[in-house]
Amino acid sequence: MRTTKRRLPGAGSAVFAPPAAEDHPLKIAEFRAWRVKEPVSNRRYTVVRLRSQGGISGYGEGGAALAGEIAAARGVTAGRRATESEFVRSALRKTPALEAAVNNAMLDLVSRAKNVPIYRYLGGPVRYKARLLAHLEGTASAQSSPSLERAKQQGMQAFTMAAPLRDAMIPLRAWVDLVRKHFADMQALAGASSEWVLDGAGAMTPGDAASVAVALERSHPVWFDEPTGVITQDALAKIVDESVMPIGLGRNITDIAEFQSLLASGSVNIVRPDLGLNSLTKIKRIAALAETHYVGIAPFHNGGPIGSMAGIHLNASLIYAYAQQIPVPASDRDAATRAGITSGLKETGDKGFFALLNRPGLGFEVNEKALDAASEERI
Amino acid sequence: MKRRQLLTALAGAGALSAASGRRGVGLSPLHDCGCAPQIVTAKDKPPGAAAFRDVASKLRITNMRVFGVTLDERIAQADRPYVFVKIETNEGVTGWGEATLEGKASAAMACVMDLKDLIIGSDPMQVEHLYQTMYIGSFYRGGPVLGSAISGIDQALWDIRAKVMNMPVYEMLGGPIDPRGVRGYYHADAWTLAQARELRDKTKAAGVTALKFQLPDLLECVETNAKIKRAVAHMEMLREGLGPDLDFAVDFHARPSPTVAAIILREIEPLHLLFAEEICPPENVKAMARAVRHSTTPIATGERLIASYGYSELIDMGVIDILQPDIAHVGGVTALWKVSATAEASGIRMAPHACEGPIGGIASLHVDAAGPNFLAQEICGFVDAGEKNRVWEDLMGFPAMRMVNGRYPLPARPGLGVDINEAALKRYPFQGTRPFVMAFHEDGAVASL
Repeated sequence: MRTTKRRLPGAGSAVFAPPAAEDHPLKIAEFRAWRVKEPVSNRRYTVVRLRSQGGISGYGEGGAALAGEIAAARGVTAGRRATESEFVRSALRKTPALEAAVNNAMLDLVSRAKNVPIYRYLGGPVRYKARLLAHLEGTASAQSSPSLERAKQQGMQAFTMAAPLRDAMIPLRAWVDLVRKHFADMQALAGASSEWVLDGAGAMTPGDAASVAVALERSHPVWFDEPTGVITQDALAKIVDESVMPIGLGRNITDIAEFQSLLASGSVNIVRPDLGLNSLTKIKRIAALAETHYVGIAPFHNGGPIGSMAGIHLNASLIYAYAQQIPVPASDRDAATRAGITSGLKETGDKGFFALLNRPGLGFEVNEKALDAASEERI
Repeated sequence: MKRRQLLTALAGAGALSAASGRRGVGLSPLHDCGCAPQIVTAKDKPPGAAAFRDVASKLRITNMRVFGVTLDERIAQADRPYVFVKIETNEGVTGWGEATLEGKASAAMACVMDLKDLIIGSDPMQVEHLYQTMYIGSFYRGGPVLGSAISGIDQALWDIRAKVMNMPVYEMLGGPIDPRGVRGYYHADAWTLAQARELRDKTKAAGVTALKFQLPDLLECVETNAKIKRAVAHMEMLREGLGPDLDFAVDFHARPSPTVAAIILREIEPLHLLFAEEICPPENVKAMARAVRHSTTPIATGERLIASYGYSELIDMGVIDILQPDIAHVGGVTALWKVSATAEASGIRMAPHACEGPIGGIASLHVDAAGPNFLAQEICGFVDAGEKNRVWEDLMGFPAMRMVNGRYPLPARPGLGVDINEAALKRYPFQGTRPFVMAFHEDGAVASL
């Protein structure tokens, strides 16, 4: 094998010492943020750009945030190095959308500065391609079909399907049959090779969710997502004790201890931290927890394209990561907005997978003009 | 049947291995096992690496070596010759790790080399993938020999990764939490009140804030009033001699049964220990839970457990307050970080064990520095460094790591911050494995030391 000698700095320096307090190329020198709103779906998210003293920029996305929260986050990052993710995780724990945006921007910045993709900085890749899960818009079959068609064109083979809501006047059996029919209809629309996640959106009672889980377990959805909003051990036991349906939970959880509680009680089969509310470094911790329970992780995502790509890097660095959820807009205008932000890089797959990019940081250039155009406010 | 046809047939049966796919990896079926019809193995070397052709870095591991290092007993116990691992790359970047395993040095060295085929030719930047390759790919998923071998290799991989990035490992892990360093404690013993007071003065003068002691006796599964009183009186004497301000922990070293441990823990609550360590043998978590449920003294354990999986029952059952994985056994930086992350979610603190050589101790500091739930770092050694300084100078070019104002300052150089002088290693040739020190009760029965 050919050997090329790499020059390594550091020899001759102090062996043990606190990090130098003076200026450092990775010190954060500038903070910008955009409050983005997609034109048709009104999907909202926050994009943060950090620029280091050395002139490198990094971008991170989090969920929707208020202007005051963004201003406070700017104060937290002032004078910090872009490597200090644990400090930021702690300092911004009460504004999870900004914890995600700022920490992810730091990760992009450092990875660009070190000329490596984010997945490599995180210890990956553990896989060379990441499975995509298309998050479809709409709740009825007809509403979802434009989004489904776009997702299929984008090379996706796994999809989320919103479960029909139960009207109080509908008997339980009739409603369960309706869910079953909806599932079959969507499967038929997407083709035999399609895989589905049934999305309960936290809207069912635990008892109703248990009935649906039992009714559909032989149809083998990949999992039943957020079947109920009642996240207590007793409530979830109704579902997990009565069926073998895998249960996904966690899109509204920002406290890692809550994931631990779900895992320890055996109430969850796929943990689903929201990329808009948890940074990659934080989700890595959640994944470490899930790994000890042999539980998979598939971050929830209904935000922008920068978040999608960050999720793909995370997926490539976690052994138990299953899929990255990607929002698929029904509208052309929303799709164009998203593609504009990523300078044309599309959230598309090949036979259901996204082939990893071997480029520094997130792997694409963020188009700030497109961000400006899609923003309610630039801060 | 051509290879492509074989793959297609297997895929059709839903039986294609993860190593296959668009990369056209060379595959052959297993023939000698009941799982033969289901499994195909990768022929590429290292196994599975071809899949990452387009997404790996240009760095490749070209060689891996293991060194046994036997020292004078004044510096390292006879049962634990250092086991160092060196990984070399095609770009001249090298990494060092430590796989020292008490009483099993030869086995750990052999196990490191058993893993060579999984490592040589790999991209060292894929540390998580390589960790999983060694852990899952070794089938047994743990045990101290495999855990120590993985630990040595994993530390060396992190050393390379961070050297390439030109940053200390703790920065890659998101630290430091506290730039002043990480709190530590030394080992100590004192058998009289006068000795304890002398130790207090010496400890405070050195700026050290915590010490750890052992129980005075071996203990049986049921114990007499006399021995229990002696153990309690010993700890009371220590508290009186050390004063109220100096923290101290007591290592029960898994000597008592849960039954005896519960009685002692009840008696020593007023002493407010930093923690009580390994209060009973580690295998049965439910039994340990029985012992601790009556005590508010913080309970620490975990030095004999492997991988983050080894800790999950302790965490889920809420048995302990502090975890003590050893970076030379648990699975290196990767596994120690994962244990720390899982512990944090349950409000459990970390006081990693480190009673082997210098690389493991320094590697621990990096993980400590990035853990918000870190409490204190053990480094086997006393307030007086003694002969260690000379050997550290010889091996690494700097004296033994010492606390400043109660903290170990952070390693400042890129990587782990350690480079071993191979010429110096020749002055401490490996002299074989010696067993862990044995202890026996007065009736000749084997005792837990």
